[in-house]
Amino acid sequence: MNNIQEIEGPRGLKGWYTNMMSAGWVVPTFVATWICIVVIPLVIMVYFSFLDVRYYEVYYDEPSFKIWWSIIESGRWMAVTRTLRITATLTIIQLLIAFPFALWLAKGCQSKGVKASIITLLTIPFFLDASSRIIVWRPILGTNGVINTVLMDLGIINQPMEWMLFSEFAVHFGMLAPYFPTMVFPIFLVLTLIDDEYIQASRDLGASPGQTLFHVILPLSLPGIVAGVVFTMVPLMAAFVEPGMLGGGFVNVLGDSIEAALRNLKYPTAAAMSTLVMILLALLLVVLVVISRRRGALGNIFQTMKR
Amino acid sequence: MTEQNNADSFGSSGPILEIRDVTHRFGEVVAVDNISIQAQQGEFLTILGESGSGKTTLLRVISGLETPSTLGALRIAGEDVSNTPASDRNCTTVFQHYALFPHMAVGENVAYGLKVRGVPLGEREERSRDALELVRLGDKYDRRVHQLSGGERQRVALARALVTRPAILLLDEPLGALDEKLRLDMQVELLELHSKLGMTFVYITHSQEEALTMSDRVILMRQGQIVQEGPPRDLFDRPASRFVADFMGVENLLNGVVLESNGEITTVRMGEHTVKGRWSGKTTPVPDQPICVCVRAERVKFAEGSGDEPNRISCKPGATIYKGKYLDQTLETDVGMVNARIWDGDFSLDTVSHVWWHENDCVIVPSDKSSESVN
Repeated sequence: MNNIQEIEGPRGLKGWYTNMMSAGWVVPTFVATWICIVVIPLVIMVYFSFLDVRYYEVYYDEPSFKIWWSIIESGRWMAVTRTLRITATLTIIQLLIAFPFALWLAKGCQSKGVKASIITLLTIPFFLDASSRIIVWRPILGTNGVINTVLMDLGIINQPMEWMLFSEFAVHFGMLAPYFPTMVFPIFLVLTLIDDEYIQASRDLGASPGQTLFHVILPLSLPGIVAGVVFTMVPLMAAFVEPGMLGGGFVNVLGDSIEAALRNLKYPTAAAMSTLVMILLALLLVVLVVISRRRGALGNIFQTMKR
Repeated sequence: MTEQNNADSFGSSGPILEIRDVTHRFGEVVAVDNISIQAQQGEFLTILGESGSGKTTLLRVISGLETPSTLGALRIAGEDVSNTPASDRNCTTVFQHYALFPHMAVGENVAYGLKVRGVPLGEREERSRDALELVRLGDKYDRRVHQLSGGERQRVALARALVTRPAILLLDEPLGALDEKLRLDMQVELLELHSKLGMTFVYITHSQEEALTMSDRVILMRQGQIVQEGPPRDLFDRPASRFVADFMGVENLLNGVVLESNGEITTVRMGEHTVKGRWSGKTTPVPDQPICVCVRAERVKFAEGSGDEPNRISCKPGATIYKGKYLDQTLETDVGMVNARIWDGDFSLDTVSHVWWHENDCVIVPSDKSSESVN
């Protein structure tokens, strides 16, 4: 009589997967974990910046703005503007190189073998630790380095070019390659998602290659550009290995200062500087989110690609 | 008024589209094999063929999106465009999947062709609205593309291609992605648009039904070559080969050999039967030539007992398939299976012993060996 059956979900691995995809616990678990391992340490860090250190010992009793004032007075804030300037310049340079390169890789490069090799080559910077990658530039760029020696032997220059090492040039140069893949990959990805038919339709409707680039390819690749800028800019803000090794103490950036403060056990100073980096990054992200809002939320960043 | 510009400025002298000796290869594969076609001003020309026949490649060669391997000549409105980039050719394409820009609103999509030509904003918007009005989407100017239905997207794609008033509109299987009902409506709409604009349409399709209902002229392609061209009625009633007959939906294709012929009425032998029909091949029939007898299912008639109907073949009823408006009836004969169509639902097959057909309803074509091996 009673033919109505309880419909059971699929069992086994498939059932587990289905349950996981539909379950309501994913969001709470993520939020709880994230709070524990990311947000709480951040809050503690911010709290630390209001503490004081005397004789290498942290005093918890009377929080104050003392450290913050000292950052301004000691001129450490100069590192902030320098960091911002270097980050901005490098991000722009990276973008200007990466976009045409990614466009060629995604749409121009016909050979699958070449494409695969290039993608593999691009991952090399992720293989090595930063210091071992950077240290090789010293004997190349230095006053007695390869370039200067060769150029002087050839009689092209009389004096070694000192600006090549321990300078802002060296820092920019050294950070170009390590942070290039993080800019290229998101842009490359989004460009491969743009259907060739859009580009053909644009041509067919009378657009020149430049018009197609500006009216069709660029707007459609904006999500990838935003992602590339974020992924490149954030680590650039925090970088300290390259500025330290190639700047030779002349190019003081935030990452450097934090490192130095930590080494001297000035935890509150390091905490204050880190808080500063965070605030700057948060501001930049807000700007980017506002920009990309005009094109829809970040959550459906690749939605525009779908037919 | 403006739509007539194209017609007036080029006059009636010479074809609006002329392609001579075009060949295109993709590596080893010859997609288009030495084809020449022409289209007259205002013509609705359909290029028909199954997938892989080279029809889309041919269209892309016309639009400039594909550069052919070799080319004799390519003229649009009398102007040599063999070396002109796609953007500067006086023709636009309606893509199979529409290719509407997803980041632009409907109006921006339609106005795109005008924008890249530097038409001022006001005029651009006015003309885009007119174009949308033309496809009955006047109220959708500000909509996003993803908010539209398939049929509406199709019409936006049409408006976008029409707004720059090209000499030729190229349509690449534009109705392929639509469902049956919508497709029939759009066929009518396209025809109305065509007669209203007086523009030349080059229409690509794999559907013989679309080709028949819409075209002034049909070009049937196969493996990169033209197998037959002419008015729809020609292809439908007078297929020149077994392949064409099969493609145009002739249900009964029976093999036989020529006995005798006066060039038109041809007598053939199928097994023990002698059948008469109209010769439709390009060459003159010769005795003993292998041929194919083509009879449409709706022309097959039934007979009982003995009689003197022409082309009589004894049969045994086989399976019946219900098709709604009619029944598809298969009949077993000693020359193979014959399909007939029964319009009367109450018709009884009990007494049927023979099938027959008029010799005017029977087309005889040479049996091209290559197509038999394919089938």
